[in-house]
Amino acid sequence: MPLEVLLVEDSPGDVRLTQEAFRDAKTSINLHVATDGVAAMAFLRREGDHSQAPRPDFILLDLNLPKMDGREVLAHIKEDDELKTIPTIILTTSEAEADILKSYQLQANCYINKPVQLEAFDAIVKSVNSFWLTTAKLPPRANSG
Amino acid sequence: MGATIRFLTKRTVQFAFGAAIAILLIVAGFAYRSIVISGENGRWVRHTYEVLENLQELRFALEAVSSSVRGYILTGEEAYLEPYHAAGLSLEQHATTVRELTTDNPVQQRNILVLEDVAVAKLERADEDINLRRTQGIEAASEAIRAGPGLHATVEYAAIVSQMQDEERRLLVLRIADAERSTNRLKITLILGTFLGLLITVAAGWSVQRDNSRRETAEEALREGERKYRMLVDGVKEYAILMLGPQGEIRSWNPGAERMTGCAWEEVAGQNFSRFFSADDVSLGRPQEILRKAAESGEYEEQGTRVRKDGTRYQIRTTFTASRDPAGNLRGFSVISRDLTENKESETKYRGLLEAAPDAMVVVNQSGEIVLLNVQAEKQFGYRRDELLGQKVTNIIPIGFAERLIADDLRSTEDASAQQIGTGIELIAERKDGSEFPIEIMLSPLQSAEGTLVTAAIRDISVRKKAAVVLLQKVDELKRSNEELGQFAYIASHDLQEPLRMVASYTQLLSRRYKGKLDADADEFIAFAVDGASRMQRLIQDLLAYSRVGTKGKELLETSSEDALQQALANLRGAIEESSAVVTHDPLPPVLADEMQLTQLFQNLVGNAIKYQNPGVPRVHVSAARNGGKQWDFTVKDNGLGIDPQYFERIFGMFQRLHKRDEFAGTGIGLAICKKIVERHGGHIWVESKPGQGSTFRFALAGSQARS
Amino acid sequence: MTKEVLLVEDSPGDVRLTREALRGVDASVHLHVAIDGVEAMAFLNREGAYANAPRPDFILLDLNLPKMDGREVLARIKTDEKLRMIPTVILTTSDAETDVSNSYRLQANCYVTKPVQLEEFEALMKNITDFWLRKVKLPQQARH
Repeated sequence: MPLEVLLVEDSPGDVRLTQEAFRDAKTSINLHVATDGVAAMAFLRREGDHSQAPRPDFILLDLNLPKMDGREVLAHIKEDDELKTIPTIILTTSEAEADILKSYQLQANCYINKPVQLEAFDAIVKSVNSFWLTTAKLPPRANSG
Repeated sequence: MGATIRFLTKRTVQFAFGAAIAILLIVAGFAYRSIVISGENGRWVRHTYEVLENLQELRFALEAVSSSVRGYILTGEEAYLEPYHAAGLSLEQHATTVRELTTDNPVQQRNILVLEDVAVAKLERADEDINLRRTQGIEAASEAIRAGPGLHATVEYAAIVSQMQDEERRLLVLRIADAERSTNRLKITLILGTFLGLLITVAAGWSVQRDNSRRETAEEALREGERKYRMLVDGVKEYAILMLGPQGEIRSWNPGAERMTGCAWEEVAGQNFSRFFSADDVSLGRPQEILRKAAESGEYEEQGTRVRKDGTRYQIRTTFTASRDPAGNLRGFSVISRDLTENKESETKYRGLLEAAPDAMVVVNQSGEIVLLNVQAEKQFGYRRDELLGQKVTNIIPIGFAERLIADDLRSTEDASAQQIGTGIELIAERKDGSEFPIEIMLSPLQSAEGTLVTAAIRDISVRKKAAVVLLQKVDELKRSNEELGQFAYIASHDLQEPLRMVASYTQLLSRRYKGKLDADADEFIAFAVDGASRMQRLIQDLLAYSRVGTKGKELLETSSEDALQQALANLRGAIEESSAVVTHDPLPPVLADEMQLTQLFQNLVGNAIKYQNPGVPRVHVSAARNGGKQWDFTVKDNGLGIDPQYFERIFGMFQRLHKRDEFAGTGIGLAICKKIVERHGGHIWVESKPGQGSTFRFALAGSQARS
Repeated sequence: MTKEVLLVEDSPGDVRLTREALRGVDASVHLHVAIDGVEAMAFLNREGAYANAPRPDFILLDLNLPKMDGREVLARIKTDEKLRMIPTVILTTSDAETDVSNSYRLQANCYVTKPVQLEEFEALMKNITDFWLRKVKLPQQARH
């Protein structure tokens, strides 16, 4: 059964790179993309156009997003009883301590810094993939997924 | 509403016809008048032509006078005097005619008088002239003519005639115009009138036609209704149905009445219905009294005695209904009777049945009192019969029965008891000693002379209820026991894992760190320990997997067995690639299954097929075929080692292996898991095989409902 | 920089194995061990004997512990303002779905099942350490 991953990322270049990195994954993955915080929340809450959206098995979340930024999205996710069990991995360019601390305080599952270099980016996404999909146990899907 | 329409329609038709006739008359009147006028006009025209003709004759006559006189004067021949006389006569005659013809026209009358004067004068002169010729010769006469007024008179005469002619012609024009107008009016009137008349006639005719057909339909329906009624009445054999006149004369009856009274129709037609009453009743005036009461209140019901033809008496219950015409006058009575004697017979039969019934039977009336019971009821409730008869049924069935009998505003007893037919109702009953016991009652209504009674069959279901309770308990116990077993297996294997892990891990660490550093014995001992530990680990994992088939089993839903097989093959990808196995399959049906377990099943079977192989290319084929009803037989066929028939049963046992450990890996639980999965799905699994000729594993699963 | 890791694990055998595995991957890791939930909380709250304990950068938490079990420890960590930001990875033998979902619900950062085979266990530790101590950005903890 393919895994559903939500990537919340406004940079199309990064989206593409992430897609490429996921392509080599052993498990098949359905990558869904939201380009801003509002769209991300609509997807997660299955509102409007996203009424048939699947529940993601994990979320890759950039912090700096238009409309509603990633910190707010994270807060919303972790406040929602149905969404807070979804592992939410912050994948962002910011290395600021404040951001890191704040994210963990808001219960982000982990915080990954997006490298600038292409190969490094590819490597880190692959390792995120590898750890979360093969090493870690993801929460089971609810029946009404 | 219908009556009004009919009334209007009738009036309309009458009106229409009246109008048509009136119009025709009017038209005729017009035509007549026109024709009359036309005739008159024609006459006037002809008249005018006549006048003109005569006037013209006058002219000619005058001319003739003049010319004949001239002729005589010239020649002196007497022959000219003949035309002269004739002309003179003509003048006179025609002038008279004209005068007569124009009596209505004063102008013409004056003219004609003048004309006549002039004519007379002219003729006198002419006479004189003629005399002169005769006596004095031609010259004297010519002289007299030349000097005389003759020409002048002629001109004057002609002028007057002209005038008269003009006048007549003027009149002629007028009269012709009149005549034409009149003719035209006539034409138009005729056309219009005829058309209108036709129209109205057609409309009226159509209306009448429609009425006719409606009437025909109504008549047909009425006839049909009568037919049905007749059939119904004749068909009712249980009831006597009679129609009586106002005094009780029998006007009609049905075969049921024949049967009841024993008389034929011919014997009773027209007679009074009192002939069926007993002599006593007749002398007391009962028949008339009944009719009177019925007439008074419109309907009267009575129960009484009648006498059959053979003299036997019988009880009947009768309803008399008065029938009145629209004006309210009594037309007669309709009578419906039922013979109660038959009822009494069946009642005895009924009592017999009741008494013999194996269940307690209690008959209750509309007030909730027990009117009948049987010996079983006595035994069950612990009462004597006389202690229950007449008592309220609530004494033995406090709640649930009496309420159902009550005819309330919402339904009649018939309806109430009809609701209960056939359904068993569970209630609590009370014995005489106060003890309660559970019962099931079945109700049926019964019509009797005393009204609607309800019979209740009462069954003591205490034994049944106990059995049900025991069954539930046992089921609960079984469930609990299963759960405990499942839990036990789980906990056992789970808790065993940890110490086992320690043993396995540390023996391995030992082996790693100290292999070759201690002596050869130590190496061997450690190797056995490591081996033993890892085998134990695998055994426990398999045991866990086996117990999970039951504890983690999911609901059986419609599943694509083809998808399950694909998933199993995906999971076996490594093994398939390694052995270069070729796995094929036929299209597989949807089945009722737990998808994960079905995948596990295929995985185990195909995995085995690939594993237990000769060297060479393993070939596995999976197919399915219907087996009679709703089940599918799946087949996993391989070209592997085959199995000795004596082991066909054993291989499905737990941890049963047919090969040495170093030949083939595995704990021997795979097929046991397959068996448990298949049995959980309500099917069974078996194998067909010959050593060296491959094996065919078969299992049956229920198909899904969706497609057949 | 040294990373302080708190391992909450009651099986000494597993503790040893973990230590061995960690050493192989990253020798700069300081591994602290609490053998039950009570000790774990005392360590985290710097109580009693643990008054000078460093705040860990990372916690590996077994679920089945004596005295106070791992589920409760998790709940306490994640409801404590001062402790909730510490990445806490559940490392346990249980693979029960209820344990997994409850742990995530309590905001465990991650859930990993302990494999049965030694080699796999060693590989797992390597993966965990690699990912959480090298790749993931951990929040800076005030040391004392």
